[in-house]
Amino acid sequence: MAHRIGRRKNVKKGFQFTLMVVGASGLGRTTFINTLCDADVVPKRECDEPEMAHVEEAIKIKPYTVELDEDGVKISLTVVDTPGFGDMIDNEYCFQEILGYLERQYDDILSEESRIKRNPRFRDNRVHALLYFITPTGHSLREIDIELMKRLSPRINVIPVVGKADTFTPQELADFKKRVMEDIEHHNIPIYNFPYDPEEDDEETIDENSELRSLLPFALIGCEEEIMVNGRKVRGRQYPWGIVEVDNTQHCDFAKLRFALLSSHLQDLKEITHDYLYENYRTEKLSRSAENLSD
Amino acid sequence: MASTQAGAGIGIANLPNQRHAIASKKGSALTMMIAGKQATPRPLIGESGLGKTTFINTLFTTTIKAPKNHKRRYNKTTEKTVEIEIIRAELEEKQFSVKLSVIDTPGFGDYTNNRDSWMPIIDFIDDQHESYMRQDQQPKRQELSDMRVHCCLYFIRPTGHTLKPLDIEVMKRLGTRVNLIPVIAKADTMTPTDLHKFKKRILEVIAAQNIQCYTFSLESDDEASTKRNMSIMDAMPFSIIGSTDDVQTSDGRTVKGRQYSWGVAEVENEDHCDFKKLRQLLIRTHMLDLIHSTEETHYENYRRAQMETRKIGEPKVKTVTNPKWKEEEEALRKRFTEQVRLEENRFRSWEQQLIAERDRLNKDLEAEHSHIKALEAELESMQVGLSPKRK
Repeated sequence: MAHRIGRRKNVKKGFQFTLMVVGASGLGRTTFINTLCDADVVPKRECDEPEMAHVEEAIKIKPYTVELDEDGVKISLTVVDTPGFGDMIDNEYCFQEILGYLERQYDDILSEESRIKRNPRFRDNRVHALLYFITPTGHSLREIDIELMKRLSPRINVIPVVGKADTFTPQELADFKKRVMEDIEHHNIPIYNFPYDPEEDDEETIDENSELRSLLPFALIGCEEEIMVNGRKVRGRQYPWGIVEVDNTQHCDFAKLRFALLSSHLQDLKEITHDYLYENYRTEKLSRSAENLSD
Repeated sequence: MASTQAGAGIGIANLPNQRHAIASKKGSALTMMIAGKQATPRPLIGESGLGKTTFINTLFTTTIKAPKNHKRRYNKTTEKTVEIEIIRAELEEKQFSVKLSVIDTPGFGDYTNNRDSWMPIIDFIDDQHESYMRQDQQPKRQELSDMRVHCCLYFIRPTGHTLKPLDIEVMKRLGTRVNLIPVIAKADTMTPTDLHKFKKRILEVIAAQNIQCYTFSLESDDEASTKRNMSIMDAMPFSIIGSTDDVQTSDGRTVKGRQYSWGVAEVENEDHCDFKKLRQLLIRTHMLDLIHSTEETHYENYRRAQMETRKIGEPKVKTVTNPKWKEEEEALRKRFTEQVRLEENRFRSWEQQLIAERDRLNKDLEAEHSHIKALEAELESMQVGLSPKRK
């Protein structure tokens, strides 16, 4: 009940949510962002001169802010894109860049909190969730996937997704999802898996969360163009053998993920970021500086 | 010069038939007539999960290589090696047998740091040339085992953008050593317009980066062949879909394909992918050309380069750059230094012990010495005491 009251107050003000999207190029990251916001937020990658194609591009971190309206609720969504991830031959640098960015946001909050006079309009740039795009190999997680998720999960809610899921037949997709989750468990990677308390929460919440948990990693297909199917206009991709619809839950999990991120679990992700991840970082940082002082 | 009349000739026109008879008896390497030559190794190169294994099974419509066993993936310790697997098979069609060698390179490009991960592959190709060259230089060279690589299929990930730096690095090195055929894997990820743009961009990059891909002369004796050759060349890089499963299409046909919720992508449908064209190229029409160009161009290039610096019969100076070996070397070196250090420590403590022992013994000796001196002094005094009494 208290949850709902809080929401009503926020509905007028609108919510703020920051999402980071990480994945190798060519996995549909940019298209996903544009599909999510239903607008051309991120410009399509301009393919450089063929002569420069062998030059390795380092990772860049680019935030974009978009105002969305979800059923009357205003959401100020900031999407942080990371083009260039995994494109180099040696990708160690990418991890540090992303981690550095996340920690810088925490540092900003930390220093702001410690001020005597705090700025009431201080902008909270902490990232609340990270969507990691897994390459749809059909086998299982690669070393770079495991490394990244392990290193970033202490600082941010990691949600694994499968990009370009129209590579898979339904059976292959189910098998791949199973194997990915097995890998995640085997390597003890703490991802955000829609936690619920079987004793405290009500039936509805438990059902909702376990359903979302069973869909992990979310299979995504992105498309900005609209095409005609049976007289209606849908967002989809047209193949010689059929049409894949983005908003069709039979074809992919896009609609469910969008709802979870922007409606049902937005608050939960923010709370975990603030109450748990940020607190951990703060403790670590302050005890480190205390150690340094005592030395 | 008298020209032979048709029908009254001396039988030169019968030569192709003779060759055919010889070839049929001896069988061949990889499905095409090449009198007496051995297996046509052809490596499939590309990152894992691009459908290489499925493709090979689709191409030969039989399971040459078993699909990856996923249950065993936790047993493998993370070794940073690109292991090269050679699968040999012998196929038979219409009493014509073929020795096929497929070389698979799993685990390529999967790691955080992929630098030099292509070295094992390049080394492998060079090694085959090397091995053939050495055998050729032997006095007895009837029984040559020819494992030279005739054709290399490079699988490109269907990103829709362009070639990655890793791809460019590897393809550059491959193109100068072997017939390189770029292939777009899992082409059913891309819509026809995307695919067209992607192909164009790849060709631009290949041209700009000077990557040598396999080409063949388009001219041929008959119109049909020329046209076919042109359509094959136009389709490069080939987009492929691989599948060994039989599925039902919406209009009731049973085809090899992939069944999605929104339709069936067919392997042999030319509107869906270029699989048929690639198969034609590899097996029906250009296998002979692939094998010949390997021998005449690539092998000769290798041989020439080696001959300029080496004498006949000299073994190759091998620079051990294989990362696996480097690691082993490091490990061995560490072990040895460790052992040496242990031994040195042991000797040092032994030395200490001996010194301590010696000191102790010296001390005892001193003690004894002084004891003896004391006794002597006593003896003297007693003697002195005695002698005056006697007087």
